[in-house]
Amino acid sequence: MTQPVTIIMIEDDEGHARLIERNIRRSGVNNEIVAFGNGTDAMRHLFGADGSGLSQKGNALLILLDLNLPDMSGIDILKQIKENRYLKASPVVVLTTTDDSQEIKRCYELGCNVYITKPVNYENFANAIRQLGLFFSVIQVPPAAT
Amino acid sequence: MTAEAQRRRAFWQILLIAAGLLVLTVISAGSVYLVNKAREDSKWVVHTIEVENQINALLLEVRRAESSARGFLLTQGPDFQSDHEKAVAAIIPALAKLTRQIGDDPAQRDSIEKLSAAIETRLDQFSREMDFVKQGQPDKAAALIREAAAGNTTTTISNQANAMIREEERLFRIRTANSDRSQTLAASMTGIGSGLVVLLALVSTWLVRRSARARDEAEARLRDANVNLETIVDERTADLREANDEIQRFAYIVSHDLRSPLVNIMGFTSELEELGGDIFRRISSLAHVPADGPPLAPGSSGEIALEGPDKQLSTDFSEALDFIKSSIAKMDRLISAILNLTREGRREFQPEKIDIREFVEAIVSTLAHQAVEAQAEIHVGSLPNIVSDRLALEQIFSNLIDNAIKYLKSGVPGEIRIRGRTKLGYAIFEISDNGRGIDPKDHQRIFDLFRRAGTQDKPGQGIGLAHVRALVRRLGGTMSVSSELNTGSTFTITLPVAWNASNRNVDR
Repeated sequence: MTQPVTIIMIEDDEGHARLIERNIRRSGVNNEIVAFGNGTDAMRHLFGADGSGLSQKGNALLILLDLNLPDMSGIDILKQIKENRYLKASPVVVLTTTDDSQEIKRCYELGCNVYITKPVNYENFANAIRQLGLFFSVIQVPPAAT
Repeated sequence: MTAEAQRRRAFWQILLIAAGLLVLTVISAGSVYLVNKAREDSKWVVHTIEVENQINALLLEVRRAESSARGFLLTQGPDFQSDHEKAVAAIIPALAKLTRQIGDDPAQRDSIEKLSAAIETRLDQFSREMDFVKQGQPDKAAALIREAAAGNTTTTISNQANAMIREEERLFRIRTANSDRSQTLAASMTGIGSGLVVLLALVSTWLVRRSARARDEAEARLRDANVNLETIVDERTADLREANDEIQRFAYIVSHDLRSPLVNIMGFTSELEELGGDIFRRISSLAHVPADGPPLAPGSSGEIALEGPDKQLSTDFSEALDFIKSSIAKMDRLISAILNLTREGRREFQPEKIDIREFVEAIVSTLAHQAVEAQAEIHVGSLPNIVSDRLALEQIFSNLIDNAIKYLKSGVPGEIRIRGRTKLGYAIFEISDNGRGIDPKDHQRIFDLFRRAGTQDKPGQGIGLAHVRALVRRLGGTMSVSSELNTGSTFTITLPVAWNASNRNVDR
């Protein structure tokens, strides 16, 4: 039995974080959700104190990433995750307000697995997150590479 | 070089030319006058010589008459007689001619009178001598000759004639001197004049060369200034472009960052709505709880109607939430509009050759459904083909045609015309309708973002025309409207026939 998947949520807006968490829970996903309000904390958690990512070795992670963070660009985080040998296999879902086609293209090029634009319309938003939750419940996440 | 110096130089040049002209005129007039005078003088010199000749000829004739008369007296030969007669016959005309020629000189007239008198006396003597000889009285003739000799008639004639010749010689000397002087004067005048003209020409050449040099310098400065100007224009253009990009970025970031809290507001409003629903359902279930039974499970009793003040509370609650939600929705649309505009502003244009008539007809066919609903007919005239960005043009034309269909007068069959022509490298397109028209005071307003004009009976955000105008400007064109209320509107777009991306977005 593989260990349960931990959802890492990097989202600076507490409201968004709350709404996302609530809707994920409503879709029946009960995995642990670890939320970070800024990039630095998230990076420390993901890559460890030495920045190697060794601390996450063997953990199954799913990363929810907002691009507009106060201290750093989400794109940088995405890039580093996808370049790290332990983390690159973890699925990254970019969930952000940006709907610029250039930005979306760039994220996919960098290895993002899913890109979702946060709809302002709450019905759509809630729907999107719940479907994402359903997606989480069926997705197979590999443990961080050895 | 100052304008003052330039004026002074021009003044000097004009003065020089005027002086040259004056000198030339004076020389010409002087030369004409002097040449005439010289000719006159020469004529007088010739006249003097002629007079002298005439006097000599007259003397010669008198001598001939005298010698032939003597010969006749000695030999009585008829040869001498005819010779004498011929000589006598020549004397009178010669004398008459001399008198005529000399008529201008009062001094000589005196002399000629005396000469005439002497010659007449002598001629009289001659005829008497000849008569005596013919009658065979040579003694008398010889006596007459002696008498003539004693009376000094011949000497008088020759003296008088010599005096006249001397007088003429004197005149000849004076007149020759005169003539020489006028000729010298004419020559020196021409010489001096030519010298002056040459001098003036030299000065003028110098001035012209100096002004040419000044002009060259000015041209060089102008070239420098032009180069500078171009640099300045380039700098300003770069600045403007930077400012524009800055605005675009600003609008993009602002609209983005505004969106983030909006997601929360909308999200938690919806959560609140749901919460409100739960709360009121709970209130109603509590209100309807049977005095003895257990309370109904919340959620299953949504159908139970609230009563009295509870109902009022619920209505107020949902009304407030509805207002919040509709405002959020509107704000979202506005932010989306700004985002779309900035996105359009950042899009790179791809110029290509477009068959505009075919292109517009394609747009019209996509709007055919709306046109039929609005009872509108769309006429597409002949349109010039241009090189431009297809997507931008599509948005421009479809927006304008859509507007024309949208704002027709109700109850009047619509008539929309699309016409085009070219002028000076620009294609001018006109989209006119017979719709409700636009009040002239709103002509500027309709192009502003989020602004609309007239009766607000159609859905819309007030974005279309702002967007269209921004696109037209980015394509290097201009756009205007002419319209009165209730008389229809004509939107005119002027676009370059061959737009190339080089005038805009060059650095992107």
